[in-house]
Amino acid sequence: MIRKICCLFLLLVVYSSCQKSKAQKSVYPNHVGDIAFDEKTDDPNFKICLNGRIPQYYEFGKSLQYRGEKPAIDKHFEILKLNETTVESGYITIRFIVNCEGKTGRYRIEEMSNDYQPMSFDKNLVEKILTLTKELSGWIVGGNPEQPVDYYQYLTFKIEGGKLIEIMP
Amino acid sequence: MTKSMLFASRLFFVFLLTSLALVAFAEPNCNIYKMENNMPCYEACVLATTGGGAQGSRASQEKFDKAIEQCPALDYAYMEKSVPYLKRGEFITWKKLIDKAVELNPTLHLGYRGWCRYQFLRDYRGAIKDFERLDTLFPHDIGYSINGDYQLTIVKALCYSAIGEKSKAIEIMETQLGKKGYSPMVYDYLHLGVLKMETGDFNGGIVFLTKSIALNDYLAEPYYYLGLINKSKNLKVEYKTAMEKAKAYYLKGYKRFDPYTHPMHKVYLSDIDRELSIAQTF
Repeated sequence: MIRKICCLFLLLVVYSSCQKSKAQKSVYPNHVGDIAFDEKTDDPNFKICLNGRIPQYYEFGKSLQYRGEKPAIDKHFEILKLNETTVESGYITIRFIVNCEGKTGRYRIEEMSNDYQPMSFDKNLVEKILTLTKELSGWIVGGNPEQPVDYYQYLTFKIEGGKLIEIMP
Repeated sequence: MTKSMLFASRLFFVFLLTSLALVAFAEPNCNIYKMENNMPCYEACVLATTGGGAQGSRASQEKFDKAIEQCPALDYAYMEKSVPYLKRGEFITWKKLIDKAVELNPTLHLGYRGWCRYQFLRDYRGAIKDFERLDTLFPHDIGYSINGDYQLTIVKALCYSAIGEKSKAIEIMETQLGKKGYSPMVYDYLHLGVLKMETGDFNGGIVFLTKSIALNDYLAEPYYYLGLINKSKNLKVEYKTAMEKAKAYYLKGYKRFDPYTHPMHKVYLSDIDRELSIAQTF
């Protein structure tokens, strides 16, 4: 009887570890778009306020939330419209987290050609866009004043001939 | 019929159209596979359309993978799997997946892909390509945007206007609005009015912006653009009055809105305030 129980216990342990390794091997994060902390690139002082799933900006039903709305963001990046440092065209997307204090961190960059293929823009242009994105200080905190939450936001920059044409979303 | 009743009936009509647009992208009828005796695809279809995690969750994405593995021709699974990447700014992955859905079922997914290229990426040329291919498949009506706001021919016109072909955009819009049986959608007249204004046809602009207000008097935008026309015509009082009305509407929340992106010809409070300060000294 004891041997049977031991065997059953062992089977359960093996099954449970199989399940764990299966979860670990998934090609997906917990949620598409999740940005895990990377100690090599991310600022350790940038804090996430709440545990658990971080919602996307659109889940609040308010679109992009920034003081001065989209014109304030457009104005912040206006300098890029005048600078023609490259002749490349495509999209640069920067995804990041806005925390419950309205601070941003964990930036991730995706560079894409006009035919939706991965590409690399001029490093100076990407660096400039990233720096300007980090300087944006008007993000409105998610949730409500009693219960502020962190959220994911992204900005996509449409570039044509090295010039910034539009900022999305 | 009172103005509010008229608006309510129009709102109901828009709701109906929205519902129809959503139905077009609703879950597939899995029984079709069963009737064809294609049990692997039937089971895959049932799996893909059954609950299993929130959109974009690992469980949900893995569910679609399983369905695709079982039925590689299940376009619905590719389309659904693509959606969270689009909404969350991972456009390379989105495009790969939506392209596969379009390849498998162009009649169902071309319009949606074209709309997303317009809405999320301002990929006007890419969207035009999709809509014009759709024109060859459905010459009479290429369908509606997924959010129910637009007939896609109007979106095609907006794409042409964005790449500088404003006269062509106006022609496409007027043809669509003149089609027998076509009921103008809620923003059609606003866009046509703005395009008329931008091409210097101020009287045409006034006609269509006024029509926009008559169809839906819950937007700051037509007042703002009417104000700009009044400014160009040197009508000082009308300019200021229109901008004041635009601001009052904006502050009441009567403005263009989309939870994901910024709609074309949307105005912002800073735009209106700037015009109001100009109007003070005009």
